[in-house]
Amino acid sequence: MKNTTFLGLDIALRGLYASQRGMATVSHNVDNTNTPGYSRQVINQKAARPMLIAGKAGMLGMGSDVVSVDRVRDTYLDDKYWSEAQYYGEWSVKDTILTDMQAIFNEPSDTGFAKIISDFYDTLQQLSTNPSDPGTRNAVKEKGIIVAKYFNSVAAHFDHLQEDLNNMVYAKVAEINNLADQIRTLNLQIYNYEVMGNKANDLRDQRTYLVDKLSKIINCQAYEVETGLKLPNGEPEKRFVVVISGKALVDHQHVVHLKCEVREEKLNLEDIGNLYEVLWDDGNTIDIKSGELKGYLDMRDGNDGIPAANGQGYTPSCKGIPYYQRKMNEFVQVFARTFNEGIIDVDGDGVLDKINGHADGYKLSSIEGDDPSGIRFFIMLDDEGKPMSSEDFINMIYQQAGAAGITDDSDTPYDERLVWGYSRFLTARNFCVSEDIISDPVENISASSEAGQTGNNNNLASLLKMRHNTYMFMEGSGEDFIKTLISTMGVDGQQYAVYLGIQEGIMKQIENRRLSVSGVSLNEEMVNLVKYQQVYAAAAKMIQAYAEVLDILVNRLGL
Amino acid sequence: MRITNNMLINNALLNMSNNLNRTQKYQSQLATGKKITMPSDDPIVASKALKLRTDVAEIMQYRRNADDATSWMEITEATLAQIGEVIHRFREISAQAANGTNTPDDIDKIRTEAEELKTQLIHLANTTYAGRHIFSGYKTDKPLMDENGVFNIEISNAEEIRFEVGIGDDINVNVPGSDLFHRGAEAGPGDKSFLVDTFDKVITAMEAGDHAQISSLLGEIDVEIDNMLRVRAGLGARMNRVELTSNRLDDDFVNFTRLMSLNEDVDMAEAIMNLNNEMNVYQASLATSARVIQQSLVDYLR
Repeated sequence: MKNTTFLGLDIALRGLYASQRGMATVSHNVDNTNTPGYSRQVINQKAARPMLIAGKAGMLGMGSDVVSVDRVRDTYLDDKYWSEAQYYGEWSVKDTILTDMQAIFNEPSDTGFAKIISDFYDTLQQLSTNPSDPGTRNAVKEKGIIVAKYFNSVAAHFDHLQEDLNNMVYAKVAEINNLADQIRTLNLQIYNYEVMGNKANDLRDQRTYLVDKLSKIINCQAYEVETGLKLPNGEPEKRFVVVISGKALVDHQHVVHLKCEVREEKLNLEDIGNLYEVLWDDGNTIDIKSGELKGYLDMRDGNDGIPAANGQGYTPSCKGIPYYQRKMNEFVQVFARTFNEGIIDVDGDGVLDKINGHADGYKLSSIEGDDPSGIRFFIMLDDEGKPMSSEDFINMIYQQAGAAGITDDSDTPYDERLVWGYSRFLTARNFCVSEDIISDPVENISASSEAGQTGNNNNLASLLKMRHNTYMFMEGSGEDFIKTLISTMGVDGQQYAVYLGIQEGIMKQIENRRLSVSGVSLNEEMVNLVKYQQVYAAAAKMIQAYAEVLDILVNRLGL
Repeated sequence: MRITNNMLINNALLNMSNNLNRTQKYQSQLATGKKITMPSDDPIVASKALKLRTDVAEIMQYRRNADDATSWMEITEATLAQIGEVIHRFREISAQAANGTNTPDDIDKIRTEAEELKTQLIHLANTTYAGRHIFSGYKTDKPLMDENGVFNIEISNAEEIRFEVGIGDDINVNVPGSDLFHRGAEAGPGDKSFLVDTFDKVITAMEAGDHAQISSLLGEIDVEIDNMLRVRAGLGARMNRVELTSNRLDDDFVNFTRLMSLNEDVDMAEAIMNLNNEMNVYQASLATSARVIQQSLVDYLR
C-alpha cells in the first residue's frame, strides 16, 4: 500500500472522532449519575488496523478506533442482589405488619387489656364488699361491657388488617404481572438491537432494574440461556428467563402471569371471607418462598402451622392474624365458660371440674326456695348484632348440640353440651355482656350463693377466685394467657426487626459493591473529560499541522 | 475500592437516618418516661410490666377491701362496746334489785330502766352500716329481730361475710347475730334471742318483786357477759389481723410500685446523656456529609 497524501489527516480525524465519542460517553455518564439502575459506560478504544508498509518497514499505525461502548457491570453482584432482596422484602413487610398488630393490642399502656381486665375485677371486688349496692352493680356491668368491647375492637381491627393484607396480595400480584410484561418488552427490544451485534447497554440496565424490583416482591432467579443458535455476527443467541420456584414467569417473549383467585373454602376458621389464593394463570399452584408477597401471605394466613381448616395441608407456620384471632377466641371461650358456668379445672389434673359460676348464683331479690338465677354474664351477639339473653343462648346451644349429637355425660360434674357450645359459638368478634345483665344489672348480677341473702358474696368470691386459677389455660391464668400472647408478639416483632436489620446490612453491602463497580464517579468523569478534551485539542493540532503541510504542497510548489 | 458519588450519598443518608432513629428512641423515652413503647422494643420488660401493673392494681384493690373491712369491723366493735355497757348496766341494776331492802317503788324504777336497756339492746341488734344490718348475717337487708327480741330471720354462725384482702386470703368481717344474741346457737324466725330472753326473765322477776329469783338470774347474766366478751375478743383478734394485713399491703404497694418503676421507667439522667451523645454524633454526621458530598473535581476545573 502506498503512502497516500491525506493519510495523516485521516489518522488525525480518527483521533477527533475517538475523543468525541469519549466525551459523549462522559457526558452520558454524568447525566445519568442519579439514574437508578444505571451502570457507567466506558468506550472500548483500540488502535485502528495498521497499514502494512512495503519494503519490510513494518506497520504504520492508523490512529484510534472506538470498537464499542460497554457498560461496567458485575453480574455476580446482580445475582447476589436478587437472591438477598427477597428476604429483605419479606422481613420488611413482616416487621411493618407486626408493628401494626402491636399497636392494635396497645400494650403496655393505660388503656390495654391488662388495665381493662384489672378494672373489671376491681369492681367485682368492690361489689363483694357491698354486694347489694345498686351503684356498684351498675359499675360491674359497665366494666364488663368494656372488657367485651375490647375484644370486639381488637378482633375488628384484625379483620380490617387482614382485609388490607388481602388487598396488598392482590396489588403485589398485579405488580409482578406488570413487571413481567415490562421485562418481556425489554427482552424483545434488546434482542432486536443486539441481533445486529450492537450492545443495548441502557436497555439492559433497565431490565436489571426491573428484576431488582421483582426480586424484592417474590423469590425469583433471572439469567440468560443460550438457545444454541448463532446471531448473524457469530455470537450465540441468548434469551432472558425469569423463573419463580422452577417455573418461568418470563421466557424471552413468553409470559405466564400470576392470578388471584377467591378461595372457596377458608384456610382458617378465623378468616374473613373472600381471601385470595395466588396461582399461576394456567391454573398451576405456585410455591412462594419469600419476598414481600410471602410476607403478606404469611401475616394474612399464618396460624402457627396448624392443619388448614379446608383440610388441604397446613397453614403457614408464621404467627399471623389468624393465630392471634384464634388465641383471642380461645380466651373468650374459656373465660366466658369459666365465669358463667364455673366449668374449669381447679386441681390441675387436666380434667374439667364444676364449681360455682355466675349462673349458679342467685338474683338480688330472690327469696328462699328460688332456683339459681341461670344468668350468664358474658355471652355473644346474635345475628343482628344484639346481645343475646341467657335463655336464648342456652337454648341455642342445647338445640345445636342435639343436632350435632352432643349429649350430657352424667358421669361428669358438668354439662358437655355447654363446653361444646362455648367453644363452638363464642368468638372475640361476637363476645358481649348478656342482654339480662345489660337490661337489669342490679337484679341479675348473681352475687349470692344462697337464695334470699342480699349480703352473701360467696358466689362473687367463687368468680374472683377464678382470676388466679392457673389451670385455666396451658399458659396459666387468664391474664397470664394474654400476657403470653402479647410477649409472643413482642418476641416475634423483635426477631423480625433483627432479621430486617441483618438483611438491610447485607443489601447495603451489595448495593455499595454494585455502586463501586457500576456507579458514576464525577471525579473520574472529569478526569476523563480533561483527558479526551486534551487529546481532541492535540488531534485538532495535528489537522492544523497537516493543513500547513498540504498548504506547502499544494500552494507553494510552483508548477 | 472505587468510591462513587452515589455511594457517598447513600452512606451519608443511611448513617444520618440511623442516627436519627437512635435520637428518636431516646427522645421518645424522655417524652414518655418509659423505656419501651411496644412489646417488641423489649418483650421481657413488656411482659414484666403487664404483670407488675396487674399486681399493683390488685394490691390497691385489696387495700380498699381491707379499708372496707376495717370500717365494717370498727362499726361492729363500737356497737359491741355499747352492747357491753348495756349488759353491764343491766347486771348492775339487777344486782341492786336483788337486794331485799328495796321498796317496791325502788324496784319499779329499776324495772323501768331495765326495760329501757332492753329496748336499747334490741335497737343495737338492728344497727346498720351504710344501710346494711351488721348482725343479720347474709340477710343484710333485713333487721335481725323485732321489738320483742324475736328473730326476724334465720341466722347461724355460718353466715360469715368474707372480704378478700390478698390472693387466697380472706377475712370474715361480720359478727352473725346468732353468735352474740343467741350464744352461738342457730336460730330461726320466731325464736326468741337467748340474751333478750334473759333480760325478759329478770324484768318479769322484777315485776313480781321476786328478789330471790332476780338473784338467781344474775348467774345467767354473767354467762351472757362472758359470751359477749368472747365475741368481742374474737372480733378484736380479727381487727388486729386486718390491721397487720393492711400494713403489709402498704409495704407491698411501695415495693411493687418500685419494682414497676425500675422495670419500665427511664433513668432520666442516662437517657439525657444518651440523647446528647446521639445529638453530637448526628451533628457531626451532618457536618461531614455536607462537606464530602458537595465537593468534587468539578469545583476545581476552570
